[in-house]
Amino acid sequence: MAGSNEVNVNESKRVVPLNTWVLISNFKLKYNMLRRPDGTFNRHLAEFLDRKVSANATPVNGVLSFDLLIDRPTSLLVRIYRPSPFPDTDNTEPSTSSMSSLLTDLIQPPSSDPFPVIVFFHGGSFAHSSANTAIYDSLCRRFVSLCNAVVISVNYRRSPEYRYPCAYDDGWTALKWASTQPWLHSGKDSKLRVFLAGDSSGGNIAHHVGLRAIESGITISGNILLNPMFGGQARTESEKRLDGKYFVTIQDRDWYWKAFLPEGADRDHPACNPFGPNGNDLKGLPFPRSIVVVAGLDLVQDWQLAYVDGLKKAGQDVKLVYREQATIGFYLLPNTDHFYEVMEEIKGFVSSNC
Amino acid sequence: MGPYPCGSAAVGWEGVRSEVQCTAAPDIDGLLAGAGYRVRSSDLCQVAQRLERLESAMVYSSGGGHVDYDHLASDAVHYNPSDLASWVDSMLSELTPADPGPVRQAPAPDGWVDQIYPQPQRAVAARMEEEEDSGIRLVHLLMSSAEAIQRGDAALSGSLIDEMRLLLTRVNTGFGIGKVAGYFVDALTRRLYSVSSPAASGSPAEYEILYHHFYEASPYLKFAHFTANQAILEAFDGHDRVHVIDFSLMHGLQWPALIQALALRPGGPPSLRLTGIGPPSPDGRDSLREIGLRLAELARSVRVRFAFRGVAANRLDDVRPWMLQVAPGEAVAVNSVMQLHRLLTDPDSPGPAPIDSVLSWIHGLRPKIVTVVEQEADHNKPGFLDRFTEALFYYSTMFDSLEAGRANGSAAQQQQATAVAEVYLQREIRDIVCCEGPNRAERHELLVRWRARMGQTGFKPVHLGSNAFKQASMLLTLFSGEGYCVEEVDGCLTLGWHSRPLIAASAWRADDLEDNARPVPDNFIFSSISSTSNTNDSNNNNHNNNDIINSNGSMLRRNSNNNSRSSDSSSQQESIHGM
Repeated sequence: MAGSNEVNVNESKRVVPLNTWVLISNFKLKYNMLRRPDGTFNRHLAEFLDRKVSANATPVNGVLSFDLLIDRPTSLLVRIYRPSPFPDTDNTEPSTSSMSSLLTDLIQPPSSDPFPVIVFFHGGSFAHSSANTAIYDSLCRRFVSLCNAVVISVNYRRSPEYRYPCAYDDGWTALKWASTQPWLHSGKDSKLRVFLAGDSSGGNIAHHVGLRAIESGITISGNILLNPMFGGQARTESEKRLDGKYFVTIQDRDWYWKAFLPEGADRDHPACNPFGPNGNDLKGLPFPRSIVVVAGLDLVQDWQLAYVDGLKKAGQDVKLVYREQATIGFYLLPNTDHFYEVMEEIKGFVSSNC
Repeated sequence: MGPYPCGSAAVGWEGVRSEVQCTAAPDIDGLLAGAGYRVRSSDLCQVAQRLERLESAMVYSSGGGHVDYDHLASDAVHYNPSDLASWVDSMLSELTPADPGPVRQAPAPDGWVDQIYPQPQRAVAARMEEEEDSGIRLVHLLMSSAEAIQRGDAALSGSLIDEMRLLLTRVNTGFGIGKVAGYFVDALTRRLYSVSSPAASGSPAEYEILYHHFYEASPYLKFAHFTANQAILEAFDGHDRVHVIDFSLMHGLQWPALIQALALRPGGPPSLRLTGIGPPSPDGRDSLREIGLRLAELARSVRVRFAFRGVAANRLDDVRPWMLQVAPGEAVAVNSVMQLHRLLTDPDSPGPAPIDSVLSWIHGLRPKIVTVVEQEADHNKPGFLDRFTEALFYYSTMFDSLEAGRANGSAAQQQQATAVAEVYLQREIRDIVCCEGPNRAERHELLVRWRARMGQTGFKPVHLGSNAFKQASMLLTLFSGEGYCVEEVDGCLTLGWHSRPLIAASAWRADDLEDNARPVPDNFIFSSISSTSNTNDSNNNNHNNNDIINSNGSMLRRNSNNNSRSSDSSSQQESIHGM
């Protein structure tokens, strides 16, 4: 019964809380309006509709954030989240006499003990959202509290205006920048304990930045991929079975790949299908160890599971966390077991690899 | 190449939206609020149903085959996306006009204006320069000096200023932190060493020149003008007689675009009255009238019936509503670009401020639309150090954006415009740093404060929609210097540089007859009119600024009314001056 244009709301409503359903359906309908059949994207309307939040250097729940421009030619902004440097001063301003020292306080290490740095790539299928999108601001703040980490959320260039490899380039720029920051290095060995993380397209970016890091001398402590966006030319069983059932359609996935990949490329391009016919062989390479979270109601799960398999076959260390009844976006609202249990998995992964 | 080497200029600043469930009204779904959407928990089910219907309607409207939602995306205007219920309803009514009963009457009165009261703000800029620490050192010295001034330690402040001057000789003051620091050191010096109260210097004519260059060198004023014009245009829809009251006419730069847009209106243009408020011209010229004439000429060329009136006043609170001669039946727009903040006083000073009475009489005019554009900055804090710090970061960002514009525009004219634009900003800096009490005019406050104030006066918000947003974004693509960004915030639009909003535009209305309007206070009996030399000018060519310049070029005589007249004035020579 699944045609890609048929509305199958009953099934999705049964498996997610009502407010989650409202949130993701809202995204779905808005995103439908923004994609044009000719492959162009209504960027102005997208920016207008996107709900954003400002950075806030006043700690809220122990976390503060600030924006940095790290590459002027590409206007690459990152939003940095960190535990408050002032103990027990939520929502209060430090005394004004210390204001002059506040500037340098922001870039002090959060602790003398080793702490993780998470370079985070937001999702949005390479076209939507920004580092200051509200849902991702919340997620990054949660990662700070969860892992006592500094989180660097990268405002990478998006398609279709900027195709492959711009997003990967920006991710790489951010990683390189982090490696030059003394305050992000911790522990007796003064190391950058960096994790690459992302959801949807951000997970895909994390993989490819991890690839680039291999020959760079930057050691990555781990990759965290949440419902990562992969695909391929073939139509897998899960795509056919779940098409249109849980907020996502094959048609929209195709659109986003076409908008991101180079003109004329197909979905077996290695950006989309890293273990496909055009992929790299990772055997013997120091690829970061990975944790990959797959939602059982995500129509691209067969590609995600193939990714995990590909890493295993290449002798890489990968842990699969499979949530059978979870849909896309389950990690956006803290209202299900999926959310809390996956956060615990991430916390464990980070602490044991930091 | 911009002033900061890679490795950053940072701007992190205020806003608590990500944790807004702490401040959201009790019935609002807290998790959705965190995602930027305000939905009442009790509405969730209905909103879900409406979303389902919207999806069906979208699939249906696309013909079921090739999916194309272009109508919703291109033609429909979207408003206040945070109010999900209203958004869904407005989309549904686009697709299915005969729709029974929305979840919420759109646009819903914005009851959240009171809720999101300003949180403790912090504007921080962390500047990390790889090449030299002088920049950081300068900022530290500036803060320390300001702190010393706040404590009353003039000696320490003075010696810190000397140290800064020395440091400034070693850094590049042509751009970046060196340049901004230079202006602030200058301002601190004036504050410390000026014998008399350093009031704003320069004549209105000089100010107009500076304003014009600031207009040319950056998109901020252009953004202000056409965001406001868009709102005015939409508010005037369906009205045949419209009246725009501009709180600061300057060169009338805002109005040609509106006149042309009205000329092209489907169904034909309305007849337009423009009342421009501005300072009196000291030298016998009538600059308001000159501008009115030019605009009349333009209106004539595009066949818009047009009438102009100038109201000369040094201060907005000298203006009285009767001077504006609002006629019954006309749709009124009040336009204020960076004027309202001048009516504020110190937050901790007792008694009413001029802003209250002015907002009150604006409300009394029952305007269809009030467009308010203000600097998005917290420069009205009573504590000197706080204010100084806010200003340092605000103007640093502002200068940074000008710098990027200059670097990319190679024309000599652009360079000159930028240089003079900096002088324009320097005046603001001096005012904020040097002036106290009634001498300080640049009392910028944040959008969230203005929204509260407008709401308390009884104005209802008019949301600026996706049309205005799109046009603003397109305007910015004309400017190189890729850091500009337009954002939508609760129905208002902000324009900023690299994620720091610098200017905010909002729109309001008070034309609802069921409003519990606050009456215009009756202590506003204008007690005296001073006539100026204009009334003694017998030169028939030098008509006064109360003359209505008809769009066909002839002069209409002002009708007699109940205004007091100066004793020697003929009906041609009446003047209205607020002194």
